[in-house]
Amino acid sequence: MTTTETPRIVPPVSANPELQALATQFLALEARLLDEGREEEWYGLLDDELLYTVPIRQAAEPRSQEIDRNAFRVRDTKAHVRTRLDRLNTDHAYSEIPPSRTLRIVGSVEVEEIDRPDVIKVSSALLVYRQRGIDPHFDLIPCRRYDQLRLTPSGPRLLSREIVLTETALATPNLGVFL
Amino acid sequence: MTAISPETADAAAILDRVEASLKNDLVPVEIFNDEAVFRAEIEQIFTKCWVFVAHESEIPKPGDFVQRRIGLDPVIVTRDGKGGINVLSNYCRHRGTQVCQTDAGNSRFFKCPYHGWTYSNNGDLVGTPHMHDAYGERLDPKAWGLIRAPRVATRQGFVFASLDPDGPSLDEYLGGAGWMLDLIVGLAPGGMRVAGPPERYRLRADWKTAAENFAGDGYHVDTLHWSVEEVAVAQGMQATCEIARIYEFENGHAFAGHAWTKAIHPGYVLWGYAPEITQHFDLSGLDEAQLHVVNHEPPSVGTIFPNLSFIRLNTPSVPGGPMSVITSFRQWQPIGPGEIELWNWQFVWDFMSEDEARDSYVNGQFTFGSAGIFEQDDTVAWEGAPRAARSPWMRKAGMEFHLQQGNNSQVDQSHDPSWTGPGRKRNTGYGEHAQLHFYRHWLNVMRGNTGAGTEGAESA
Repeated sequence: MTTTETPRIVPPVSANPELQALATQFLALEARLLDEGREEEWYGLLDDELLYTVPIRQAAEPRSQEIDRNAFRVRDTKAHVRTRLDRLNTDHAYSEIPPSRTLRIVGSVEVEEIDRPDVIKVSSALLVYRQRGIDPHFDLIPCRRYDQLRLTPSGPRLLSREIVLTETALATPNLGVFL
Repeated sequence: MTAISPETADAAAILDRVEASLKNDLVPVEIFNDEAVFRAEIEQIFTKCWVFVAHESEIPKPGDFVQRRIGLDPVIVTRDGKGGINVLSNYCRHRGTQVCQTDAGNSRFFKCPYHGWTYSNNGDLVGTPHMHDAYGERLDPKAWGLIRAPRVATRQGFVFASLDPDGPSLDEYLGGAGWMLDLIVGLAPGGMRVAGPPERYRLRADWKTAAENFAGDGYHVDTLHWSVEEVAVAQGMQATCEIARIYEFENGHAFAGHAWTKAIHPGYVLWGYAPEITQHFDLSGLDEAQLHVVNHEPPSVGTIFPNLSFIRLNTPSVPGGPMSVITSFRQWQPIGPGEIELWNWQFVWDFMSEDEARDSYVNGQFTFGSAGIFEQDDTVAWEGAPRAARSPWMRKAGMEFHLQQGNNSQVDQSHDPSWTGPGRKRNTGYGEHAQLHFYRHWLNVMRGNTGAGTEGAESA
């Protein structure tokens, strides 16, 4: 799914309201675990084949050229995420000491079934409020996420996530928090 | 010498204090967040020095353009129909509206949205709506074209512009930094290209803090970045200064290299690039000193004055993962006093396969990028100086930053007498000499001395 796809006139209604509820609850759980500093539990929700990307966005015309999917701020596999978490756990990852206080607002959740029975597509809007350390100010990180969730007997797992930032230049000094 | 502008006059008292402080290897805090200093930097530095604007690989085809900045000014860097590179101010000559509202694209024309004045991608004014009724005759396309950077020149595909019609040529200005740039990116036919467009992130940091760090601050590595060693992505950080080599060149440029063949093993030449990469290298164009540098003491970081920096390191992104030598160039774009946008480009060799290029790109971003496991921590550490600089208490107390590291150290920091390359070389990273070199040149340029021959005055 991309931001440039021709929008449907009729909003898609998930054939299965249970899937909609499942996806919405999954995104809410993820957001809460990260807000509460429970990254290891969040890590347990990641599929082994995870691909987590933040492509680079530039002001461009036509708008379809704004996102360069061959250009990355981040292109993480699960092993990269593991390394990030290990680093955060060293107590020397200064950008996140103390950890940013965050609030993730997730909304506009849309679910789409695809031809793989065990995978669904989920798109959502995310606004992260972030206050770092003793900063007198806060940062906002707005983005849209295009996810694929794998449905497993233990519950949904995040298989892929593409994060399309609303901004071309980040107003926050680093992406030391997960989106 | 250049006429002193009002902004510089406001900053003059501060510059006097900088001069007095620098004699004692100190730097007064107020230069990191001060409206008068900032305005003077834009006037004296960014409108006079050669400033990087783009790499040629970003605008390979006719009509390609990118929007960039020289100091505070938006400029359009274009490849015109004849293959020429133009650096054009993004202000319509009629009422100043920005004629280009995008960061990149391909276009033969830039049409002002306000009244429709239209410019060719070489800057010429080629259209004015209702020409006969409005103007009676065609306006002169050159006289009323977009105002051009007076001088544009390239080195190894790096496009620089100077807003000063006079002064040293780019090659003269770069001096030893150009010699270093040649050995960094010119090792293979076709050289290097950008892996993608720049990623941009805003820091409440001063551009000088970033520039001095990349000039050769090895001292912060095993503290600020220690977490990267702890997770086994980096190794041996505690030797960063010990095995460092500092290269100082005229006009404020400085690089720091590392003696890898000595520290790791004698075969660890050429930054540790894998044979699949080095088989493409052709070192025949290098002089003897350059050959020594690339093989034994290659540059890891560097700053080309004022605000273009570089980093190259051999790194995995995950412990035990595949290594790749990453190369990032970054520009510290001044936004306002104590505020920058960090623009980060990963570079890859032009000969690289898609997979090789992507691996290097991803490793580069994972280490030095907005989510980079090294860079994240820099972005936070650098935010302190502008806060201290804005503090009435710190100003009243006369706070100065300590750059006296070398004064009582027993480590030999003298210039290497056997050095045959340009500039000077020291065989240690201790002493903060690269940073002092940067600030001494900064003072000179702020005072209006932009010509060559300042090296003596900037010697420690």
